[in-house]
Amino acid sequence: MSALAKVSYFWRSATGGLRHSPFVHFIAITTIAIALFAAGLARTAGSALDGLLASLGGEVEVTVYLAPELAEDQVEALRTQLETASGGRAVLVKPEEALERLARELGDLGDALSQLPENPLPPSLELSVAPERRTPELLERLSLQLRALPGVTGVDYGREAVERLTAIARALQFGGLVAFAVVLFATIIIVSATLQLAIYARREEIEIQKLVGATDRFVKAPFLIEGLLQGLLGAAVALGGLWAFGQLVGPTLTSLFSFLLGPTSSEPMVRAGLALELIFAGGLLGLVGSFIAVGRFLRV
Amino acid sequence: MIQMFHVYKAYPGDPPVLSDINLHVEKGEFIFLTGPSGAGKTTLLKLLFCGEKATKGQILVGGRNIARIRESAIPYLRRNIGVVFQDFKLLPQRTVEDNVAFTLDVLGRPRAEAREKVHRMLKLVGLEHKASSYPLRLSGGEQQRVVIARALVNDPTILLADEPTGNLDPALTVEIMDLLNQVNIRGTTVLVATHDSTLLARYQKRTVRLERGFIVSDEDGVKAARRMAV
Repeated sequence: MSALAKVSYFWRSATGGLRHSPFVHFIAITTIAIALFAAGLARTAGSALDGLLASLGGEVEVTVYLAPELAEDQVEALRTQLETASGGRAVLVKPEEALERLARELGDLGDALSQLPENPLPPSLELSVAPERRTPELLERLSLQLRALPGVTGVDYGREAVERLTAIARALQFGGLVAFAVVLFATIIIVSATLQLAIYARREEIEIQKLVGATDRFVKAPFLIEGLLQGLLGAAVALGGLWAFGQLVGPTLTSLFSFLLGPTSSEPMVRAGLALELIFAGGLLGLVGSFIAVGRFLRV
Repeated sequence: MIQMFHVYKAYPGDPPVLSDINLHVEKGEFIFLTGPSGAGKTTLLKLLFCGEKATKGQILVGGRNIARIRESAIPYLRRNIGVVFQDFKLLPQRTVEDNVAFTLDVLGRPRAEAREKVHRMLKLVGLEHKASSYPLRLSGGEQQRVVIARALVNDPTILLADEPTGNLDPALTVEIMDLLNQVNIRGTTVLVATHDSTLLARYQKRTVRLERGFIVSDEDGVKAARRMAV
């Protein structure tokens, strides 16, 4: 018994199946393509949003207020300690620099600051934290750690902003996951139903196969390959659609949202990673759909 | 080759289709199963290729007890049994050659080997010139010959034919029966279910008569033919 002959038969049977019921398979392929197109768009939008959150997160700095009486070498030692603890860069802001900055931020009201008898602002170290340490939990821990250092009088890291940004990102991720699960479920149901129709159309052939001694696995294999092919074709159509979408609508979207999204928006719509993900997802969708169909309908 | 011991087949709520069937078929025998419609001929054949399961009793095919066979082992049993149906069961969208090759495809035989066997088989049934025709373009007799070629291409030890001439005119009936006889002469055990008494008289083979699910007679060909003549 030749394995090659069997594989060749499965392939001929699966492609023959696609030709045998073109409309049914067209529906399945289109459904997979639409689902993957939507997933691809969501994925691209998601990565743009990640970029946005990262860029906003980059603006969150930890400000470490220092005791005014610290000598320059003590400040320098603290700066080194801070950089080691946070994995980021610390820049010293002297009291007079801080006052100037405040005056600038206050605009016309800034003149009032010159009336003060002395500069009330302490020296500070502005610390930019590495992106992977910008979660609320890690920032809180870092803040406590820094507060305990001698010469540090206070720490501020914009706790509320960080927590809000993180909550938004999590909500979007969760919403995306739920939507993706619903689309995935619906797609599997449709793929499975269309394959059941294809199996029904070939019931006579299956009956004869069984009569001449085909095993269940032999009967099922071409349908699983058919499902896999449907999924891969659906993925190819979705990738084509995403590419066309990127070419036609991409430039307009980029110019509309460039103020928000920054440099990430200039990335191509179909990246190699996304293409691989969609091809894998398409194949998996087709396989799972056909697996359910042969399991439910092909009780041979 | 085939042994049936006290075999019963019944469907829930109905009287038994087969009752207390005891049958022994030797290797290379040709047997007619006869009886009126509803006597249980088709069911008996179905039990032999595991198209149905016996309710009670033991069935040995080639020394293997198929009353207790696992589902997964049925395909391997069927590879040794060719089956011919009255309604042909050919695939209309495949050529004659592809229909016959179907059995070998299922067994994973390489294409070149399969093609050679298929042509040899089509030659045996006299249809080598129709290899690339489609079944619906053939006469009933030709279609039945394709079915026989498909059933025999894998060299089965047993051939079961359920009313193989039921849809054919007398001339084609003789043609098909001659072919089955020839297959039997080559060593294949043949069981033919038929209610056509002229066949029994013409071919004079061992005849098992079923009525209402019981075997009512089991006679050699001469005796059966003589009884038919009376």
